[in-house]
Amino acid sequence: MNLLELRGVRAAYDRIDVLFGIDLEVPAGRVVALLGPNGAGKTTTLRVAAGLHQPTAGDVFVGGRRVNGTAPEELARRGLCLIPEGRGIFPNLTVRENLRMMTYSGAGLSTVEDRAYSRFPRLKERRKQIAGTLSGGEQQMLAMARGLATDPALLLLDELSMGLAPIIVEELYELVAQIARAGVSILVVEQFASTVLGVADLAAVLVHGRVARVGTPHELQDELSKAYLGGEPR
Amino acid sequence: MMEHPERVEQFKHDIAEMQVKDPAAGRDRLATRGGAALMIIGVIVAIVGCLQSHNTSNPLSQTDAVIIALIGVAVTVAGGAVFLKGALSNFFRFWLARLIYEQKAQTDRIIDVADRP
Repeated sequence: MNLLELRGVRAAYDRIDVLFGIDLEVPAGRVVALLGPNGAGKTTTLRVAAGLHQPTAGDVFVGGRRVNGTAPEELARRGLCLIPEGRGIFPNLTVRENLRMMTYSGAGLSTVEDRAYSRFPRLKERRKQIAGTLSGGEQQMLAMARGLATDPALLLLDELSMGLAPIIVEELYELVAQIARAGVSILVVEQFASTVLGVADLAAVLVHGRVARVGTPHELQDELSKAYLGGEPR
Repeated sequence: MMEHPERVEQFKHDIAEMQVKDPAAGRDRLATRGGAALMIIGVIVAIVGCLQSHNTSNPLSQTDAVIIALIGVAVTVAGGAVFLKGALSNFFRFWLARLIYEQKAQTDRIIDVADRP
């Protein structure tokens, strides 16, 4: 079954349309990569899925239920977690304080810390450090740790690789693969396809606000070069 | 990749239990818009009442017009209150969350100090 499904989703910022009828499915327990060039509508698609942006048309189904108009905090409380582009951490708080902010979801601080430090041991070493002074990779780990503290069933990741060195990106995607192996369904948005395709079960190519192609990473290799280099999508 | 049926079922159950609301019909937005509308209507009614009272020499008509103007002022004040309620509730929600966080952190600091040998 699909944990997330978008059917004919259209979205706009003011009067400027950015999504033109997106159809996308994230089956339970799978990693789906949403790829595409800059400005294709990837982040907007994630924001619509997370309830942060209302679609102008179409339907969003989460866990088999139509959730158009649902407040994002309601979805988050039930297990849909978005880790936004730019990480979404509190840069002036320490790592531990950032994790403490996740206790609003009901889990105690010790539980949140256990979950975070078991997956990201490096954060334990840095727990008293101000988050803004962490390296980019560590900040991204903290953002993921904060997301995973809510015990999500569906994780939406936006541009995990942004501003990071390739070796750090590989390390992060290894962690994503571990999270997926633990049974969390993941929709990951990426501009740089090569690494994410290594962990994805399915991938969709988004071009000019439309899904140009959906398939396995292997099937999409040709489509990707066309999408990124400006060829016409099939 | 693997599927954890228990978590998936729990997630589906939680989503099914959720009350889906249309944000367009959200109370805060309604209060903001309704309050603004009431303020405008109130001001118009007050001005109309005032003008009516000036355009008649009949004391009874003047009294009626003054009452209408006062009702307009009351509607404006009520609209202002409703508008403020709608506009500030989001801010106060965030402020409350911050206060709760600070209070928890303060309590933990006190406990840490108290636990020291």
